[in-house]
Amino acid sequence: MQREQTPLQRIVADFAESRLALAGLALFTLILLAALFAPLISPQNPYDLAQLDVLDSRLPPGSRSGDGLTFWLGSDDQGRDILSGIFYGLRISLWVGVASTFCAMIIGLAMGLCAAYFGGRTDGVIMRLVDIQLSFPAILIALILLALLGQGIGKTIFALITVQWAYYARSARSTALVERRKEYIEAAMCLALPPARIVFRHLLPNCLPPLLVIATVQVAAAVALEATLSYLGIGVPITEPSLGLLIKNGFDYMLSGKYWISFFPGIALVLTIVSINLVADQLRDVLNPRLQK
Amino acid sequence: MVVQTARFAVTGLICAALSLAGTLSAAAAELRIGLAADVTSLDPHFLNVAPNNNAAWQIFDALVHVDANARLAPGLALSWRAIDPTTWEFKLRKGVKFHDGSDFTAEDVMFSLERPATLAASPGPFTGFVKPIAAKKIIDPWTIQLKTAAPYAMLLHDLNSIFIVSKKAAAGAATEDFNSGKAAVGTGPYKLVRFARGERIELARNDAYWGGPRRAAWDKVTLRILPADSARIAALLAGDLDAIENIPTADLTRLKTNANFRLEQKVSWRTMLLHLDQYRDHPPGLGDKSGKQLAKNPFKDARVRLAMSKAINRRAIVERVMEGHAIAAGNLVSPPVFGHVDALNAEAYDPETAKRLLAEAGFPDGFALTLHAPNDRYVNDEQVAQAVAQMLARVGIQTKVETMPASVYFAKARAGEFAFALLGWGSFSGDLALRALLATANADKGYGAWNWGRYSNPKVDALLEQGFATLNETKREALARAAATLALKDVPLILLHHQLASWAMKKDIAYSPRTDEYTFARDFRPN
Repeated sequence: MQREQTPLQRIVADFAESRLALAGLALFTLILLAALFAPLISPQNPYDLAQLDVLDSRLPPGSRSGDGLTFWLGSDDQGRDILSGIFYGLRISLWVGVASTFCAMIIGLAMGLCAAYFGGRTDGVIMRLVDIQLSFPAILIALILLALLGQGIGKTIFALITVQWAYYARSARSTALVERRKEYIEAAMCLALPPARIVFRHLLPNCLPPLLVIATVQVAAAVALEATLSYLGIGVPITEPSLGLLIKNGFDYMLSGKYWISFFPGIALVLTIVSINLVADQLRDVLNPRLQK
Repeated sequence: MVVQTARFAVTGLICAALSLAGTLSAAAAELRIGLAADVTSLDPHFLNVAPNNNAAWQIFDALVHVDANARLAPGLALSWRAIDPTTWEFKLRKGVKFHDGSDFTAEDVMFSLERPATLAASPGPFTGFVKPIAAKKIIDPWTIQLKTAAPYAMLLHDLNSIFIVSKKAAAGAATEDFNSGKAAVGTGPYKLVRFARGERIELARNDAYWGGPRRAAWDKVTLRILPADSARIAALLAGDLDAIENIPTADLTRLKTNANFRLEQKVSWRTMLLHLDQYRDHPPGLGDKSGKQLAKNPFKDARVRLAMSKAINRRAIVERVMEGHAIAAGNLVSPPVFGHVDALNAEAYDPETAKRLLAEAGFPDGFALTLHAPNDRYVNDEQVAQAVAQMLARVGIQTKVETMPASVYFAKARAGEFAFALLGWGSFSGDLALRALLATANADKGYGAWNWGRYSNPKVDALLEQGFATLNETKREALARAAATLALKDVPLILLHHQLASWAMKKDIAYSPRTDEYTFARDFRPN
């Protein structure tokens, strides 16, 4: 006799069916740990200018610095250890990606649910706002915002929230519209429960799964967008490089054979995005009731 | 075996000879140059910025030219002399023709000297160069006299900045007429064929050029605008361009070792320096290490300024950041330039003395500041700023670096938003550099226009005024040197390095590089 599974157990079991997704999850966990414990495992604090020496600049992988430190992945044009730079860069990239996605999801969800529940003019205003937002390319909006606001991690997060919330609002609204016509909402309405309670206690939990899938995919997109903005020189400050800025700093030297400045941060960025996407893909399959066996 | 090798060798030689002949004849016909900055207008009196002036120099001449070492040379004026302390007489070059075939006369000079003041909408006017001229008189078609209100030695340099246009073609012409080519009629080595804004400028040789046919070696010249360094280099490597300017230091080594290309370098007139706010009690971005306001502005103390200068390892910047393509600076102007003081050496790197000086000045634990720099204006500007920040951090001055595009940077710098900021400055002479960078700010006199730190020393100002009133070049240079020595003793700003300007071209082309960084098509020759 088969034992009854809780939904969580079912999700975990389904997720584990894909080896690739598990590998992605393992890789992502590693990256996350590296980012979390960057100050402990990095040979150097790449953001402390007093620890850098321009005389150690552009050393190939495996060289030793003037202070006896070994640059396992080489050093950049300021004498910054690339390995430490990657660990700290991952911190910034993931923090920007996760924080902006989370905030965008909260805002988008609230807007989408309001639009679906109240309908009418509220729906119209919110959805036209979403339409306007979606008609501009994300990178363009982020560029304009950062050009106006200036550099900084907080400002980059703000720009990424601005370009992302519309996706969640649109999805939350369509899911909520479907859910709203279902009997349990009608029942709740017959009980004359206050709207806030219906929206947040009844509607919200049932709208979450598709949004969580979008959120995981969007974390990867946000990480990539942050890297793009930093690569263009308008994201994070130059003395606290994220992965995108590390790649940009090394780009000038690519053709002169000093590949490592861009190459290793590039690999780190690719691995991060791929691992998140592998997890997100499998999560989408698992949470999609139509694909249920 | 031997026979075969010999045959190969002969075939190879013939092929090489053929291809060489092919490239040479093609090269002599057309020269394609990649420029690093956008040319916004071909009206030579509209906007005074280096990229526009560079384009104008291909088409127009001035009365006074400067040679490759930024020293004065005859242009459309064959000779000049001061008949009294306020009157200059210029003998004009005879037989010079405009591109449309008309004669160049004193009338065109009069018109060109008056035209800048008529362009009211100019965003970067040339009026400053003609303002000192109080009166002008035509003696005969090839002689003019210019009068200044007071003795003014810089008149010749100022005249170098005023391009001579044809009165016939440019009378009543607007800036658009120059861009379309209708009014862009000069006496220069090349005629304008087509101007495609943001893309290219096509030129054809002026066969009647007064500099002689040898001066302009190419039938056709195309100036292509390629601001992205990588795109410009790639175009040269791919053979789409014959020569490019402004080579990023990261690519210099690679081009140097590539046998298909030639590299030309010359010390540029541009000096990189750091301005220090010496006028406010609480300059923006300055504080102690916990972010609290300091009791006094440390930059007002000469010991702190000297300490900061001593904390900077200029050799490391030159060798590592600039990869050897710069020289450490102890002067406001680079060695070939008028007024350079040989006795002033670059401040030696001495972090221990720097720490001691900081302690003596009352900052044993240092302080915190923000260094501002543009990120797209000078060679490696962002990297230089970070290297300076590292070095200051090591003597206890916690330094944050903020960089931004030049378009934003200079507006903010002029608005006084920076306390410690990077600037690159090129001047014809030491006294001109002092006038712009360190003279007491006075908008009416045109002094201290770029004195962001508001350093002020009445003795320096007096020496400068005396120098500008001295028409004898030797005496003027001595005064310029005295003023520079006096001012720099106070460490009113921190000198970093003089850039080396670089050009790269195909092996079969030669170029004589210029200190003023201009890229002149007529200075390229088939080799």
